[in-house]
Amino acid sequence: MLKIENLHARIGDTEILKGLTLSLGTGEVHAIMGPNGSGKSTLASILAGREDYEVTAGSITFDGVDLLELDATERAVAGIFLAFQYPVEIPGVSNINFLRTALNSIREQREEAPISGKDFLAKVKACAQLVELDGKLRDRSVNEGFSGGEKKRNEVFQMAMLEPRLAVLDETDSGLDIDALRIVSHGVNSMRSADRSFLVITHYQRLLDHIVPDHVHVLAGGRIVHSGGKELALELEEKGYDWIVDAQATEQA
Amino acid sequence: MSEVATPSKHAVLATRITDACSAHGVVGEGNPQAIAALEALPYPTTRQERWKYTRVTRLLDIAPQATPAGTLPEPVLAGLDAHTLTFVAGQYMGDDILDEGPEGCFVGPRSVALERYPQRVLEGSTDGFATTEWFAALQSAAPQDGGCVIVPAGHRLERPVVLRHHMPSGIGVAQPEHLFLIGDGATAEGIIWSDSATDAAGLLNGAITAKVGDMADFSLEIVQDEPGELHHIGHHHFTQGANSKLTVRTATANAHWLRNDLHIVQDGVHADSTFHGCYLPNGQQFVDHHTRIDHAHPDGRSNELYKGLAADRSTAVFNGKIMVHKDAQRIEAYQSNRNLLLGEQAAMYAKPELEIYADDVRCSHGCTTGQFDREALFYLRSRGMTETAAHNLLVQAFLAEVLDGFREEIRDYVHDVYARRLGWS
Ligand SMILES: Nc1ncnc2c1ncn2[C@@H]1O[C@H](COP(=O)(O)OP(=O)(O)OP(=O)(O)O)[C@@H](O)[C@H]1O
Ligand SMILES: [Mg+2]
Repeated sequence: MLKIENLHARIGDTEILKGLTLSLGTGEVHAIMGPNGSGKSTLASILAGREDYEVTAGSITFDGVDLLELDATERAVAGIFLAFQYPVEIPGVSNINFLRTALNSIREQREEAPISGKDFLAKVKACAQLVELDGKLRDRSVNEGFSGGEKKRNEVFQMAMLEPRLAVLDETDSGLDIDALRIVSHGVNSMRSADRSFLVITHYQRLLDHIVPDHVHVLAGGRIVHSGGKELALELEEKGYDWIVDAQATEQA
Repeated sequence: MSEVATPSKHAVLATRITDACSAHGVVGEGNPQAIAALEALPYPTTRQERWKYTRVTRLLDIAPQATPAGTLPEPVLAGLDAHTLTFVAGQYMGDDILDEGPEGCFVGPRSVALERYPQRVLEGSTDGFATTEWFAALQSAAPQDGGCVIVPAGHRLERPVVLRHHMPSGIGVAQPEHLFLIGDGATAEGIIWSDSATDAAGLLNGAITAKVGDMADFSLEIVQDEPGELHHIGHHHFTQGANSKLTVRTATANAHWLRNDLHIVQDGVHADSTFHGCYLPNGQQFVDHHTRIDHAHPDGRSNELYKGLAADRSTAVFNGKIMVHKDAQRIEAYQSNRNLLLGEQAAMYAKPELEIYADDVRCSHGCTTGQFDREALFYLRSRGMTETAAHNLLVQAFLAEVLDGFREEIRDYVHDVYARRLGWS
């Protein structure tokens, strides 16, 4: 479904991704772990189409389409969803109005009819239940004054509403309490399906107890330096990243 | 033998406008002070700070042609349970008058109020800007009809009053004058709806004056919805007494060329003023809001919020003056003016002016002019919204803070006007 090859990207003069290669099959869940500042959010942002980054080399294809040719809107229409590490507050725009506009905008671009008010409300209800999102939050301005955990829950709520083909979750577990982690993971798990893939960025093995990945990758210094099965997360939790990064350095030397 | 001096261009304009107004009908005698001021005052130029961005030389060429059509325009705010008076080009169109006698409420045209209650009207009248501003003096020298609302002390007007003024097709001129006299402890709500035909042009030089008594509560919503090529100058003057509450909301829905001067004088202790406004010029439109509040007594509060967008090649101007007089202690005055520029060639000139002569004062002000929040835009686009859809949502959100303060009927109406302009929906 997603194929990233030798991706180099920079912002200003700073090169952040330095030859990143990764591929994700349809229906698979991949986890990405890695030290702070290694480029995880950068990768997520580039996948979602943030224009601040300049891709200097490499390619990304999504369902065979050159993703780099699409703008942020078109990628969402193609079925890519990013749950932000830091969701943006938008005062004055109610969560509900925001979602209806987004959903209908996508439908229009896919040449589908707008969703009926009744269907929309039913969907909101089902998706809010899925992540146990407080009813009050639906009517408030997007993320405004939401607690850290509420913001993350709201991201997963939006994901459920938009039903993407590829969901990139950037540290969706950070800021969640233990119950919320379980609830949000349950939401994600219930959306797992044969035709939907997930890229889960996290620092904690704990999340991967709930959302069990097919593959785990280590991103360090702008590249995937190590990949393994779900047990890799446990090993990382125990030993940290140094052994891999050091091994890489030795290998390259 | 002295030569007859050639009259200045603005004196000629004054004569032309005064004659045109007189021909169609003025109300009462022109205010003598205003007539004197009109001769003495200079015509505004961009060299004066108050007119720096507002070129009025173009108004010198206005030559009114059309005689006002006597037909009633389509009603506005049809669903609202209100007392409505309609005026076309400064002439009263004859709706029902509310007259409860010399001790009671009166809602009718100023022309009738002056006949029936000259004393009450004259006692309550103030000169407003008439002796200090050239266009205000012109208006007051040949005032035309407008609404007059008298609510005596302790009375409450049950239904809101809608004073609707319409400018018909053609190059016209009108100088309507609306007056609100809200007695001590009285309560009233007013709406001034100023609109025009889509091919109206010329000059609308109007005045709104309100005198709000001690302990009174008055709220006014002003809607300016004037397609066409009208030049509109509004002189909006409010005086409020001790412990009174005044709310003025101004929505400039549509304006070709507009200058509003809004001035509130707190003439007693513990007065509370709220004044909000919004505007969204596009094309080559020009919208200028000048506001001023005078805190002349202690313990007053004021809350000012003006928000607007300038699209395409339009120009918006905001100037907000807060004057805290000596001995007006413990004033709380808040002013905020936020602007978004939607077009690379759009211009916004925003300036707060604070003059504070008391020492124990809480004052804050903020003027910002910016573009869209890039993070918010990316967030919305990452959810599938087109750039246009995302812009529209952010514009709506931006204006909601002001628009939501209006009554629902007005909020929805203005929202729809803006929506059509920006291609929302
Ligand atoms: N706008 C920017 N300008 C300059 N440097 C940037 C910018 N955005 C990101 N970077 C740098 O790029 C590097 C990678 O950042 P990124 O946010 O992708 O890291 P991350 O792996 O997500 O880290 P974390 O685990 O802390 O979330 C960091 O060194 C960061 O400082
Ligand atoms: Mg990150």
